[in-house]
Amino acid sequence: MTAYIIRRVWQMIPTLLGVILLVFILFNWVGGDPAYVLAGKISSAEQIENIRRQLGVDQPFYVQLWIFIKQVLTANFGASWSTNESVSHIMATRLGPSLTVLVPLLIISTLVAIGLALAVAYVRGSLTDRAVMIVCTVGLSVSILVYIIVFQYVFAYKLGWFPVQGWGDGFWHNLIVYASLPIIILLVVSVAPDLRLFRTFVLDEINQDYVRTARAKGVSENRIMWVHVLRNASIPIITHVMSQLPGLLIGAFLVERFFSIPGIGREVILAVERSDFPVIKAITVYVAVATMIVNLLTDLLYKAVDPRVQLK
Amino acid sequence: MRSPFLRAIVVAGCLLALPGGAVRIAAAAADPNKVLHVAIEAGDDGFDPSRSTNYYSGLIEEVIFERLLTYDYLAEPVKLAPMLAEAMPEVGDGGKTYTFHLRKGVYFTPDPAFKTDRRELVADDVVYSIKRFVDPKNRSPWRFLFAGKIVGLDEQEALAKKNGDRFDYNAKVAGLEVVDRYTVRFHLTDTDFNFAYILASPTTSIVAREVIERYSDDTKGHPVGSGPYMLAEWKRGSRILLHANPGYRGFVWDFQPSANPWDQDVVAAMKGKQMPQIGVVDVRLIEEEQSRWLAFQGAEIDYIDRFGSFAPMAIPGNKVAPYLAKRGIKLYRYLEPEMTYYYFNMVDSVVGGFDKEKIALRRAIAMSYDIDEEIRVIRKNQAIRAETPVPPGVVGYDPKYRSSYHYDPALANKLLDYFGYKRGADGYRTLPDGKPLVLTLWSTPEAIAREYDELWKKSLDVIGVHFATAKIKFADQIQKGRACQMQFAGAAWTADWPTADNFLQLSYGPNVGEDNYACYKSAAFDAFYRKAQQLPDSAERNHLYLSMVRQMEVDTTWVMGATRYKSTLFYPWMLGYKKHPILHAPWPFMDIDNTKRPAR
Repeated sequence: MTAYIIRRVWQMIPTLLGVILLVFILFNWVGGDPAYVLAGKISSAEQIENIRRQLGVDQPFYVQLWIFIKQVLTANFGASWSTNESVSHIMATRLGPSLTVLVPLLIISTLVAIGLALAVAYVRGSLTDRAVMIVCTVGLSVSILVYIIVFQYVFAYKLGWFPVQGWGDGFWHNLIVYASLPIIILLVVSVAPDLRLFRTFVLDEINQDYVRTARAKGVSENRIMWVHVLRNASIPIITHVMSQLPGLLIGAFLVERFFSIPGIGREVILAVERSDFPVIKAITVYVAVATMIVNLLTDLLYKAVDPRVQLK
Repeated sequence: MRSPFLRAIVVAGCLLALPGGAVRIAAAAADPNKVLHVAIEAGDDGFDPSRSTNYYSGLIEEVIFERLLTYDYLAEPVKLAPMLAEAMPEVGDGGKTYTFHLRKGVYFTPDPAFKTDRRELVADDVVYSIKRFVDPKNRSPWRFLFAGKIVGLDEQEALAKKNGDRFDYNAKVAGLEVVDRYTVRFHLTDTDFNFAYILASPTTSIVAREVIERYSDDTKGHPVGSGPYMLAEWKRGSRILLHANPGYRGFVWDFQPSANPWDQDVVAAMKGKQMPQIGVVDVRLIEEEQSRWLAFQGAEIDYIDRFGSFAPMAIPGNKVAPYLAKRGIKLYRYLEPEMTYYYFNMVDSVVGGFDKEKIALRRAIAMSYDIDEEIRVIRKNQAIRAETPVPPGVVGYDPKYRSSYHYDPALANKLLDYFGYKRGADGYRTLPDGKPLVLTLWSTPEAIAREYDELWKKSLDVIGVHFATAKIKFADQIQKGRACQMQFAGAAWTADWPTADNFLQLSYGPNVGEDNYACYKSAAFDAFYRKAQQLPDSAERNHLYLSMVRQMEVDTTWVMGATRYKSTLFYPWMLGYKKHPILHAPWPFMDIDNTKRPAR
């Protein structure tokens, strides 16, 4: 196991180098020169050159690439070119609000989807199963924007059950007062595809011989579904859930914008709009690293869930 | 303490026991229970006046800091007024020297950066603040306000660059003379009768050297000024909380109404009040239009001035919708001192040049574009046609001026026929020499830009000119514009200072490579421009401005766009609201009647 982990960590180095190179090439190819925006109105060529010099974008590409690599190694991405706020401060202050929405969402959404998947798979082919699948398909076809606009108008403005927007102080206050409606909206959006997917995983297991054997032995249906079937269906479910974890780092920019949540998703969009390379670099690298770590954890979880899995 | 007499004696005693009692009286006017809730639509980028270009940063800086001059709250057209200066400057040497006498007893808000409890704002602070504009390390986007204008300042900047961007703030600059503790004199390199307007820009606010040096890594996060409000809390990208500055000297509201009938109500509600009245300004970032609109309807914010696509239901026919009027909501509407335009690249091989057929092509294109449709369909009637590059509200604007050509596709077609732009079998024209004729509009990738692209396509189809678009990011658009590499593109300009000069410099020949994106070089235009710069505000100068505009029309360098309305809806408990064309934060001039506000 230890050798496996060391080997996987070792493999992360070339992968990360690839990410660095890709981000660097993409930004320099399509990113635009930020000096022209930062120089403001009525600026001289000399002033723009001065800004380019201070930002270091006048350096040869290999020098800029080396600076980028050093930043990754030291986890110090400097400050935002637009606001001068340190990138570490941006990450530290914006990640919290995003996670306040997304972590509860991921937990609730996974539990609800698993529960419903087991239930509808159990009654496969029945009217209930078909109705749920139709509702899921319709739900999938509607844009998240529609859910946000309608839910915000009806539940926040018309019924006054939630604030229209805002963010306050304190985790619990934010979670209960401000994050509830965004979580509900994202839950509605995410449960439908998860439910369909998880149902398929469960159906793959439900007709296996071990289920029939368990029934023949008189094991209760609840135990069959929640212990035997779920355990065997859990590997693809874990894969799916774990693959969503790195996404937490980039937030959910639409709900963040509509509900004025000062999260990381809004910062990502702003950084792209402003060609704010330090922020883009940091977030991209963090997401890449998180993806690699989560992939490793996922593989380790496979082993924990199913001892038959061999890690090589 | 029920007796008013006894209460008065106690209050007076307390005030006399405090140093600067008058100041404390002013501070007492601001009521912490009067809380104004404001929404902004985009994030700020911090609060350092010489380093921020962000509109919302400017909004906050305007009330935290002070500058030498400001504007009268009500005067129309805009009128300068003293702020930190005791009076308007003494202008000498034919517009080359400006002398300001500062108010005594103006203090910065307390900060650990200061060694004393109360740090007075003096002439040295003015000089320091101006020097910051050319300090290479600051990368000030407002450098143009002073660069090349003040004797010795450019030399100091050049020296700093030689010394590895180390600007020597102790070195004397001949053009920034500290006459005494409260007197500062500017010596300009050339006559400039618009210089006073520059010193009224919130960008030129006065900062304290100790604060800037103490927080050199994050000057944008530590705004310490002398204005009516101070930063109480700042959650980047979320909330800005301002409290009335207890050390602010205050003022009595005594503005004279202009001819605008709106002013009568404002004066009636505010006259004689000690200002500021509002104790707390709570600014929240609400980016989405729907969220802002619902927040306003739910009275979570007290006014709204950006409601774009909700305009048809909020102000149908540009009047407050009945369902809003029932709640006492009022509308203030004014034309912003800005204009939009499309520019031709005057050195482009297809549309550029001064030959008659080229001018005819540009004019035909200009006459093909239905700006009224743009205003009606895309801008939802929240704009008017711009007749000239000089917009309303700006010194030099002539309301009677009319452009010499308007939307007239029939005439445009005749013009193209006359100059040999023949139609082919497909209905589209070629150049007189038979080469293809395609007009490429360089525009940004946003959805709204596509609406303009479609209108241009529709317009050019009528006159048989092939249309193409090239999508480009905003930063690249600036870069290519400066390098004269785009054939045709759109732009907008808002007044940095409210004179025609600020708009007409966009077509001044020496500004090619900077903001003259049309790359227009006209000896006649440039001569008018240089002459106008030597004159104070006068009929003669206005005539020169008109001559410049006519010259641009003769050469047809631009297609004029629109000047946008800014509409503000506000609740009846907001008193004294009027949006100044140049100043953006009316909060120090307003009051709140809490008795009319529903319980939150």
